[in-house]
Amino acid sequence: MGIDIVPMEKGGGSDGTPISIEELDKLRQVAEKARRNVIKMLFYDQTIHVGSSLSSIEILTTLIFKHIRTDSSLVNKDWLILSKGHAAPALYAVLAEKGYIKEEELWRIQDITGLLQGHPETFIPGVDMSTGSLGQGLSFGIGVATGIKMANGSGRVYVIMGDGEQDEGEIWEAMTHAVVRNLDNLIAFIEMNNFQLDGSTEEIKPKNFLPKVWEAVGWKVLNCDGHDFISITNAINEAHKASKPVVIFAKTVRGKGFPAIENTHKQRSSPDDARKYLLNA
Amino acid sequence: MMQGNIYSMRETFGRLLADLGDKNKDLIVITADVGDSTRALYFREKFKDRYFNIGISEQDMVNFAAGLAAVGKKPAIVNFGMFLMRAWEQIRNSIARMNLDVKMFVTHTGYSDHGDGSSHQVLEDIALMRVLPNMKVIVPADPKDIERSLPVIIDEERGPLYYRIGREYSPPITVGQEYEFKIGKAYVIKDGSDLAIIGAGVVLWDALKAAEELEKLGISVAVINLFSIKPIDESTIEYYARKTGKIITIEEHSIYGGIGSAVAEVTARRYPVHIRFVGATTFGRSARSQRDLLDYYNINYKTIIREAIELLK
Repeated sequence: MGIDIVPMEKGGGSDGTPISIEELDKLRQVAEKARRNVIKMLFYDQTIHVGSSLSSIEILTTLIFKHIRTDSSLVNKDWLILSKGHAAPALYAVLAEKGYIKEEELWRIQDITGLLQGHPETFIPGVDMSTGSLGQGLSFGIGVATGIKMANGSGRVYVIMGDGEQDEGEIWEAMTHAVVRNLDNLIAFIEMNNFQLDGSTEEIKPKNFLPKVWEAVGWKVLNCDGHDFISITNAINEAHKASKPVVIFAKTVRGKGFPAIENTHKQRSSPDDARKYLLNA
Repeated sequence: MMQGNIYSMRETFGRLLADLGDKNKDLIVITADVGDSTRALYFREKFKDRYFNIGISEQDMVNFAAGLAAVGKKPAIVNFGMFLMRAWEQIRNSIARMNLDVKMFVTHTGYSDHGDGSSHQVLEDIALMRVLPNMKVIVPADPKDIERSLPVIIDEERGPLYYRIGREYSPPITVGQEYEFKIGKAYVIKDGSDLAIIGAGVVLWDALKAAEELEKLGISVAVINLFSIKPIDESTIEYYARKTGKIITIEEHSIYGGIGSAVAEVTARRYPVHIRFVGATTFGRSARSQRDLLDYYNINYKTIIREAIELLK
């Protein structure tokens, strides 16, 4: 399915399976439901970014259901920043499974009477940063992580970015900034799905050099399969041990699991395709 | 060690900000490699752990400040006005949209960075900031105004705020005036009945000078310090529109979208009167002094007098 790297944890013996089989089943169920619900949103609104959302489902599920710790204190809670804000439908679908958002609210996405905006807003439960303009989540995350450290808090900050998003100049500013602050409570994901809005990253602006750049700047660089819960969790557990900021390059597939647009630059699809998927899958 | 006129705008600002760090334990100062020029360094001398020079990275600076505010800190961005505008979209989409408690203190505005020329002389920032929802815009006239307003803003004000000052040039304007700073309030620094001059910043010196000259011709002129550009003091503007029937605005900023426009928006709705706009209409250039530039671009008392005589014909 277009995954051309073998994550380090896979194959060749035990990978330490950091998740019980029951927990793994639970994550799979949540992700499957969220995936179906994102696709089901197409019945109500055909302009949502389905392709990018399906690229993020497993990472969001793993973070929200396994790693993110809630706390009433701003500096002892974990923060989840969806810097690639156009994957909002995936975030909403997973937050609905967690009980932050009512399921029926999902069907009013982008509607004038609805709560859920096309891109995340902090007035939506479970959203830690209003995003939508690319390249801003990492800098914000550095601010949050720095504030947590100044207050001796225990919170961690997770930032999810896209590969297309790496074109933004602010990413460079933030990447070089984070290492100066020695933020061991900052974990960034970059989803490598090889597409940006107008086409493939290879045609528009290649991204294959990115891991080397982040490493040279001073980040700890990890890889994972962004659709495999064990691989994602291994990477996060490894990241928690690091004494500097960590970036996890997650190999993902645009439109993952939805044949109508899978592994293409297409963001959108039709209610007909959604119906076919929901009947067959 | 930094050298400078201790009565300058930036010097007054830098020293006072450092003083305010004593009781405001959450106050954090952030700059993009202009700590010396802006006098933010005085804060660093006292509170090294609460001072961040994040390098020449204005966009990152804005979102970094937003993140600090989100966890309950009180970040103060201190930067050149011009280069903060590079991050306007970050200011809009993060600070203003999330209504975060980030203060932006900018120096070197208008023609105050006279030598560096048009690349450094920001004449558009008031327009760009006042258009943003949740944003407050404050322009002190002189060091005395900074002393009046900065403690109130740091100690009491919450939410996005843009505070605009210059550099060295700072003629005394409000010394001897008895008023306390309040957000949303304009101050009558000279009363009069034939004409009202409304402006903010160092050019109010020209407004007072023009008023003095016009009085000699028998024309009674009020001068209003529009300290708070946003929120704007509609009542005072309406009152003086009704009282005088004629307004001249003056600003060290573009007349398109700036202070004159803000005043005209109020009078158009509440009490339309004739208005003349004195201010910039194009980019600046290099000069040996800020005064030379104000005179070169006709943003001075002479222009006000000429416009006043025409208005009163």
